[in-house]
Amino acid sequence: MTDSTPIFQARAIEKAFPGVMALSGVDMTLHSGSIHALLGENGAGKSTLIKVITGVHAPTAGTLLLDGEQVSFANPRDAIVQGIGVVHQERNLFPRFSIAENIHLEQLAGGLIKPIDYKELNENARPWLRALDLDIDPATPVSELSVARMQLVEIAKALSLQSRVLLLDEPTASLTSSETDRLFTILRRLRDSGTSLVFVSHKLEEVQEICDRVTVLRDGANACDSQPMQGVGRQDLVRMMIGRAEGTASWRASDTSTHPEVLGLSDVSTTLGHKGINLSVRKGEVVGLYGLVGAGRTELAKAIMGKFALTGGTVAINGAPVTIPNVAAAIHDHGLGYISEDRKNEGLILQHSVLSNVGVPIWRKLAGRFGTLFDRDIRKAALPYLQKLEVKTPSLSQTVANLSGGNQQKISVAKWLAAGVQFLIVDEPSVGIDIKTKAYLHELLRDLADQGTAILVISSDMPEMIALADRIAVMDDYRIMGEIANTGKYDEIAPAIMALIHDSVAPAA
Amino acid sequence: MTSPDSTLPASPLGPNAGRSTTHFFLSNEFGLILLIVIFAMIFGATAQGFLSKFNLFTLGRNSAVNIMIGLSMMTVIVTGGLNLAVGAMGVSVAMTCGWLIEGVGVPWPLAILGALAFGAALGWINGAMVVKTGLHSFIITLATMSIFFGAMIFLTRAESFRELPSAFSTFGRMKFGGYLSPLLLVTLVVALLLAWLYRRTLTGREMLAAGASPAAAELSGIRVDRIITLCHMLSGVLAGLAALMLVARNGAAIPSMAGQLGQDWLLPAFLGPVLGGTLLQGGKVSVLGTVLGAFLVTMLSSGLLMLQVGAFWVQTFLGLMLLVAVLLDKARRSYLARRNLA
Amino acid sequence: MTQISRLSRTDWFGPLLATIIAIVVIRAFSANFLSSFNIQILLLAIAVNALVAYSQMIIIAIGQMNLSVGAIGGLAAISFVGMIEVWGIPAPLAVILALAIGVGCGVINGVLIRITGISAFVITLATLSIFKGINLGITEAQPFYGVPDSVKAFGSALVFGPIPWLVVPTVLVAVGLWFMLSRMPVGRFILAVGSNEHAAGLSGISVGATVIIAHGISGLLAAIAGVLVVARLQIGQPSIGDDWLILSFAAPVIGGAILAGGHVSVSATFLGVVIVAIITQALVLFNIDPFLVQVVLGALILAAVGLNKLRARAPIGQGT
Repeated sequence: MTDSTPIFQARAIEKAFPGVMALSGVDMTLHSGSIHALLGENGAGKSTLIKVITGVHAPTAGTLLLDGEQVSFANPRDAIVQGIGVVHQERNLFPRFSIAENIHLEQLAGGLIKPIDYKELNENARPWLRALDLDIDPATPVSELSVARMQLVEIAKALSLQSRVLLLDEPTASLTSSETDRLFTILRRLRDSGTSLVFVSHKLEEVQEICDRVTVLRDGANACDSQPMQGVGRQDLVRMMIGRAEGTASWRASDTSTHPEVLGLSDVSTTLGHKGINLSVRKGEVVGLYGLVGAGRTELAKAIMGKFALTGGTVAINGAPVTIPNVAAAIHDHGLGYISEDRKNEGLILQHSVLSNVGVPIWRKLAGRFGTLFDRDIRKAALPYLQKLEVKTPSLSQTVANLSGGNQQKISVAKWLAAGVQFLIVDEPSVGIDIKTKAYLHELLRDLADQGTAILVISSDMPEMIALADRIAVMDDYRIMGEIANTGKYDEIAPAIMALIHDSVAPAA
Repeated sequence: MTSPDSTLPASPLGPNAGRSTTHFFLSNEFGLILLIVIFAMIFGATAQGFLSKFNLFTLGRNSAVNIMIGLSMMTVIVTGGLNLAVGAMGVSVAMTCGWLIEGVGVPWPLAILGALAFGAALGWINGAMVVKTGLHSFIITLATMSIFFGAMIFLTRAESFRELPSAFSTFGRMKFGGYLSPLLLVTLVVALLLAWLYRRTLTGREMLAAGASPAAAELSGIRVDRIITLCHMLSGVLAGLAALMLVARNGAAIPSMAGQLGQDWLLPAFLGPVLGGTLLQGGKVSVLGTVLGAFLVTMLSSGLLMLQVGAFWVQTFLGLMLLVAVLLDKARRSYLARRNLA
Repeated sequence: MTQISRLSRTDWFGPLLATIIAIVVIRAFSANFLSSFNIQILLLAIAVNALVAYSQMIIIAIGQMNLSVGAIGGLAAISFVGMIEVWGIPAPLAVILALAIGVGCGVINGVLIRITGISAFVITLATLSIFKGINLGITEAQPFYGVPDSVKAFGSALVFGPIPWLVVPTVLVAVGLWFMLSRMPVGRFILAVGSNEHAAGLSGISVGATVIIAHGISGLLAAIAGVLVVARLQIGQPSIGDDWLILSFAAPVIGGAILAGGHVSVSATFLGVVIVAIITQALVLFNIDPFLVQVVLGALILAAVGLNKLRARAPIGQGT
């Protein structure tokens, strides 16, 4: 099961985007009859590699080999035709079409007018459904299925296209544990019948349970290349993913326990489902909010900012209870700021200039009588912060979309520095930026805190959390599971965080 | 070109002057000015009386209305939406003004203000519905176009107000220096105010930010819902102004002056902004471009008519122009994108 | 119990209920409403309007819009009569040529949208103006009167009872469209492209060809509607199609079509047309100002999009 011939190989793949080297010489070798784990932290290059393999991006350099022969994919369709199937996190189904039609739409592409024989279509779909233990009428519309079953329909569709390599991108992200177990049974059966599966996941327990080989990416390069899973422990995977050295280095203890509280949430619940949230951030303190994707962290941040309504509890700012009706009030009346994880859609106005972006929160402050607003005032107010953060741009009138991710993130930070907020929420600070900028950013956030800003950092990147935070609050399923005082020691804190999430006994350090 | 790696200049006096001149020659506005000059020369040489004082007067008067209609649409395009009801709103405002004067007996200056306020109210209805329902403004304004126009026709029994004070028609016929219509001056003043609004005021900047990326604008402290409603209200006022200028030209408020449902205004409304380089996705605006675009269109129609092309073919030419304009604009943008200038 | 909730989820149930209620209420107030003369007038209006609505519906199905439906219909209508009057072409051939012009106009729309990547709104606004301008350029805004007797006869003949021959083409088109959208690959591709263009491309569907075909069909249906109007009016008016825009969106939207694409209903759109026709007729019967039709039409669109939005929010079904 492990010593079969490679069916697919990626060799020395490089992929450069303007300003960022996303992949620099990545290798991966897939065998048939194997389940191959692809691991890496956010920004390690995992999704770029998937996109190269499935024909979304053309690699800048390097070769792809299918059955030992060099191939190149002009577009995603091309990859599918050559036998590389992929099941993305977002669904690629037609909800109002039946299961059978979704699976076999491909086969209809032959003729335009020949009436469709739905009876035959349903019969043809049955074997694929049976192979996946799906006991449903193939005539059922896909919109009536659960998420788990939709995913299986996509797998069935990929299999019906004779996919020999099947990539599953975070397939368990939205599944319950029993659904996951059922999926794994099916994946094992597919493996035994010779399919080569690539399993992408954040959940290391699952990876260890089902995968027989593993490739780990870190900072766009291999931390390990297609190693057999045997003998690789959980700690080894973690070490390869995060690299031991960083994580501990930049943390420094600071005692903020006597500082006044800037933001206090007591027993807060929201329309989105948060229950009994208690959280306090003091002046000059960096509090981490750790949780997996979907735990409700970003949603809590937006509720604090006044975007979503509270259904109970109180929010206090500088000790006084307040109601924040909308985001504008949070920013202008209470001095709160929020740096979004989704920089391209929510953080920046990509088609506008650097100056425009950095100035938005201070426009109101700078506006004169009759609402006049002059560029020179904005420039005077914002330029010092852009210079301080060493934003690299040819001019202030440069369109932000043309800058690198790191520079874009610096602008998002500069915006709030210029606004002089007293409380700043930073959501996934290091998404899509390179390692150097990341270190710089961490330094900057710490400095900002030392100068008195209260900061809430949201992250699912554990080393980042441990490097930055004074205290770490752990969130799961829209609740705060507990709080840990950070000691900066990864070996102590990481298991403690995981223990809070899994509500299980912490493994001995 | 400067490499994107250079750090910010230490002096706060930002962009280097050399690049902004090349920028101007590659800009849409420059292209439009060039086209206007070229066509003016062609028509001047070939069409009898094109440069006569009388023709310049009518040209100015017609372009005043067309530019205003274009500006009315532009204020909504800024939000990434559109306003199919411009014509219906404009006519409703004109009829309201006529009714206030003839039916109620309000003095005309007050009637004009009241009618424009009514235009703002109609815009508020559009804006509030777009914001509250989250539906695209296309379908909302398609419906309100029908509702506004239907209600207007029902209330007026499709009859005109012809007994307006002479101030209206006097203003419409007035000529400065024998060829300049004061209507054009009104339009140019409005255009200057709009340019000021988008460049130099808080509200205008917030409109652009909200149009470019509503989510980012909201999280940066802009009341996006209010701003979008405001854009629709502004559109209503400008549509009303355009209609009132038509009243001045015709000397009467006529229910059919924008055609069935006000549809006759749709093409001029889009031609100006689209030719002028205002992005239909929202967030970018060119007031000068809209003015030049609408002027070019009016001049072309007038010139073609004088060349005896036949009044009925002019509409075909305008449609072709819109097509050519969007194609050229697309080509220009991809060229700029390739050279990383945009 | 579950039967009713299932019924209420179909697109045609709501409009059908509304139609029945409207008929019953109006019948209660006006005995004339179901007279055979009235039914004939209703059917004549429905015959043309349904085609107009279908012409827009097929474009809504791919998630676009077509502002030039009326202009295409008008151009086909005046070409039809014009060719007969000016060139002396026999009527059947003129019908075929007029429909070919409609298809051609639609294909031009589709090709322009596809190769330029510019929004359907802008492209069809431009072609609306072009087609309408050609119409006016040819006719100089004067009608063609040379409608042959055979066409006039077709326009006023009755199949039996109050049912005019004019509804026959419409019924054929409706059945054909239903069959295409539910049973033929091309119809499924149109819906697939409207539902998720990206996924459709990944499934091997040629998105470009599908878009062009949909626009071609839209042009064809608009042209048929134009020719039927000529038969009904017995004259080739250049203004045919000028007032189609609102109606073309109203009926599909009342019929539950999703403007984002991927979902339309032939039967529910038909009911949408019927509702609009009944209300128009009722306003006439009750001597209510016919101008109010516009207000009602606009309000119907708002109500329908609002309801569709609510319906979309409710869960469609529960998985196991």
